[in-house]
Amino acid sequence: MTESKPRTVSLGAVERELLRQMKELQGPGERPVQRARMANLVIYCDSQERAARLNDEIPEVVNVHPARVLLLVADAESPSTELETTVLVRPLRIGSHSFGFSEQVTLTAGRGAVHHLPFAVRALLIGDLPTNLWWAAPVAPPFAGPLLYELAEHAQQIVYDSMGWPDPARGVAATASWLDQIERGGPGRWRVASDVNWRRLKYWRRMLTQSLEGAEDRGLFESASEIRVEHGRHAVVQAWMLMSWLTGQLGWKVQTGRVEPGIEMIWRFHGPTGEPLLRIHRTEEGPPEIQRIRIGCQIDERDAALDLYVQDGQRLAMRVEGVEEAPRTLTVPPHSPAELVGRQLSDRERDPDFRASMSVAQVMARSLLE
Amino acid sequence: MAHDLRDSPQLEPDVSKSLLPQSCQLVIFGATGDLSWRKLLPAVYNLNIDGVLPTHFAVVGFGLPAEGRVSGDPDEYIRQRAKDGINRFSRQPLDDNHWADFARALFLVPGSFNDARAYAQLKAKMEAIDQQFGIPGSRVYYLAVPPILVGTCVEHLKSAGMIADPQEQRSFTRVIVEKPIGRDLQSARDIMRVVGACFAESQTYRIDHYLGKETVQNLLVLRFANSIFEPLWNQKYIDHVQITVAEEEGLAQYDPKTGEMIATRAGYYEGVGALRDMVQNHMLQVLCLVAMEPPWSLKPDVVRDAKVGVLNCLRHMTPADVEKNVVRAQYIEGDIEGKRVPGYRKEVRESFEVMKKPLPPESVHSTTETFVALKLFIDNWRWAGVPFYLRTGKRMPKRASEVAIQFKDVPQVLFSAQADVPLEPVVLSLRVQPEEGLAMRIASKLPGPKVHIYPVKMEFNYSSSFGGTSPEAYERLILDVMAGDATLFMRRDGVEAAWRFVMPILDHWEQLHVRDLPEYQCGTWGPVEADRIIVPDGRHWRTL
Repeated sequence: MTESKPRTVSLGAVERELLRQMKELQGPGERPVQRARMANLVIYCDSQERAARLNDEIPEVVNVHPARVLLLVADAESPSTELETTVLVRPLRIGSHSFGFSEQVTLTAGRGAVHHLPFAVRALLIGDLPTNLWWAAPVAPPFAGPLLYELAEHAQQIVYDSMGWPDPARGVAATASWLDQIERGGPGRWRVASDVNWRRLKYWRRMLTQSLEGAEDRGLFESASEIRVEHGRHAVVQAWMLMSWLTGQLGWKVQTGRVEPGIEMIWRFHGPTGEPLLRIHRTEEGPPEIQRIRIGCQIDERDAALDLYVQDGQRLAMRVEGVEEAPRTLTVPPHSPAELVGRQLSDRERDPDFRASMSVAQVMARSLLE
Repeated sequence: MAHDLRDSPQLEPDVSKSLLPQSCQLVIFGATGDLSWRKLLPAVYNLNIDGVLPTHFAVVGFGLPAEGRVSGDPDEYIRQRAKDGINRFSRQPLDDNHWADFARALFLVPGSFNDARAYAQLKAKMEAIDQQFGIPGSRVYYLAVPPILVGTCVEHLKSAGMIADPQEQRSFTRVIVEKPIGRDLQSARDIMRVVGACFAESQTYRIDHYLGKETVQNLLVLRFANSIFEPLWNQKYIDHVQITVAEEEGLAQYDPKTGEMIATRAGYYEGVGALRDMVQNHMLQVLCLVAMEPPWSLKPDVVRDAKVGVLNCLRHMTPADVEKNVVRAQYIEGDIEGKRVPGYRKEVRESFEVMKKPLPPESVHSTTETFVALKLFIDNWRWAGVPFYLRTGKRMPKRASEVAIQFKDVPQVLFSAQADVPLEPVVLSLRVQPEEGLAMRIASKLPGPKVHIYPVKMEFNYSSSFGGTSPEAYERLILDVMAGDATLFMRRDGVEAAWRFVMPILDHWEQLHVRDLPEYQCGTWGPVEADRIIVPDGRHWRTL
């Protein structure tokens, strides 16, 4: 069974058209149509090019977490003042013998029609299902303006990805404050914000946590004099968040920071026994992710280093430089960006580590911007 | 007194027999109007297609179009009007064969409702149609006219000798009175007194089309045919109930291509407002079905007794209660279906221009509410302390009506580790329109090693489960009148009880003489002020 042919309809005809397409795909028979939808997923992007990429990713997202997808495309190239609404249904395997259907409504707005989008979203959300807003635009959410707030009106989770932010320092500084405004509690009113980039760090954090265990006895982190992180393109915020989390865990306080644009960010901290240095360094080659972390320290009063790195692209490895023993490794399951988003949809609990990390990251950002 | 109203054996019909419509003429007063065009004529057409109409049957329209006269053959005029309405609004498409069968039994008598000669013409025409179609003189008069004209119509019918005695065995006369019955308690009593002077209660069918909807009827089945619900259906387990009737439509309709106004309800709605138009009838009737005690049989008056029992237990509001528990508002310019639409006041002004009528002085800065939200209580053993939140509005994001029963939370002992993400409460929601059906939201564990809770929704949808389209409410109700089954119609004491509840609110509003109401943009779920009657209770309006 293949997906239906996308069809452009009026906004008022969306529900009817969805049902029609599902029945058409299902074929003749008396079986009830099974609609697979655990959530509402509103995706905002700001170009046709990005929308095409998202269209490729959405089947994988809804395979992980079935959702009614509302893909909003703000097409600045188009002068149209009308919303164009396209409806698409995809078959989704449920168990080994049956199929359900996932549904996607694409709303394309030219320059003069973007203000229609929040209204259209209100009309198309399904009640009683959690609502997620995936902010898939390159601009950091705090700089998105009122549109994001309107789209997030009924959302319990805002998902964004800090990968590739054009101005990382300002993005990080503003986002930490924005989180305080956008997240809220209370029955039926709560809302969390989640960065896909933070999810990417899950295994790095696990590896570092395991490194911290036992390292204290050996004074390894207490003696740390420099941490150097190497990352590929677009991964500076990823590296930054990991380091803000780590330095927070170690109790380091930011002293000064400076940036060599496009090359390196450097901070000096107050540590328990000195003034350690943190360098986040961009490499010209390699995938867009953290590639290596080297922690210069002392072991048994000798200079040493803890080296964490990506091994064979499938696992993280850790070894102490100069010590002849096999590195400790941790397998990292491959997760595509779409799968990460899909998993995030059901993970709606506020992560205190993320918030603590962002608070430290904000202080680090301010030291760069001052 | 209730027993006075059961003065005819027809009030307690055998239920199985009641499903058989009897031969008659359906006479639609206001046949050239909006309701007839959109709902009534398409409904009768669908009954025709479904083959459920009696074999000896005809439809006679009575009234004048807005332009005041019919040029050409009146029967052809109403047939064209019906065809247009069927093409636009019928749940089943126009079929040439069925249309020909339907059209040959469709007639119009043009005439004014206060013109005795017109009634004489109507009578003569009906007698001729009786002969032509073999109808035994039975009549169903459908008064699709403004409340102010109801008395005029029934008095003329009586004067013209067009009402059969209720004890008459060979034929029957029944009258359908459209809501709203009056615009306040006194005018409702006046209308019912005038109607009562001409028709026996057993001949009178006060229609509320909401009660003809499948889901509304399914409320009784859900509650009383499933053992799991009724034991939980009380203040011990239910936290609160929300009833929402959201309309996408505003006062006027526009041609999507030209943007010109093609229809308006301003003549009816302006000065009436959402409380009278929706709450006093539809919503309180639905509330009755949600809250009533189990009737001991499905006989019409047993069910209606149980419903009136709820209305009599509604806690009446003081002016202070109205201030605290009721919010009204009016829509301003906004967005519906991706198009900019004007605010209410502008629509009122333009509507009167289109109708070529002078704008009434009180409508220049209209304070007619297009949205109302209220919190009410039912003071009986079952519902003590349970708030019922009612909300209705025009120009909301979508057309959606539902009843939502929210159950009380479990004790926060086991799964309260993450206080920021509270467990979503269990909700049973009954969708009245569109996509009639019901859904239940419950908490479920997400697969995986940790205990993460996620709300899941189990849904039952009439169209996807049973296929086809459910009959429109008007179809069922017109059929019921032809069959003499009054179960789904409002009884006189029920109408009065509903008005008695609403009057303190209307009285208080009238005394306030406000110049402006709170506003909400078209395409939103109402004004922020609506939150003040629910959010302080630790609850929130549902997203539909």
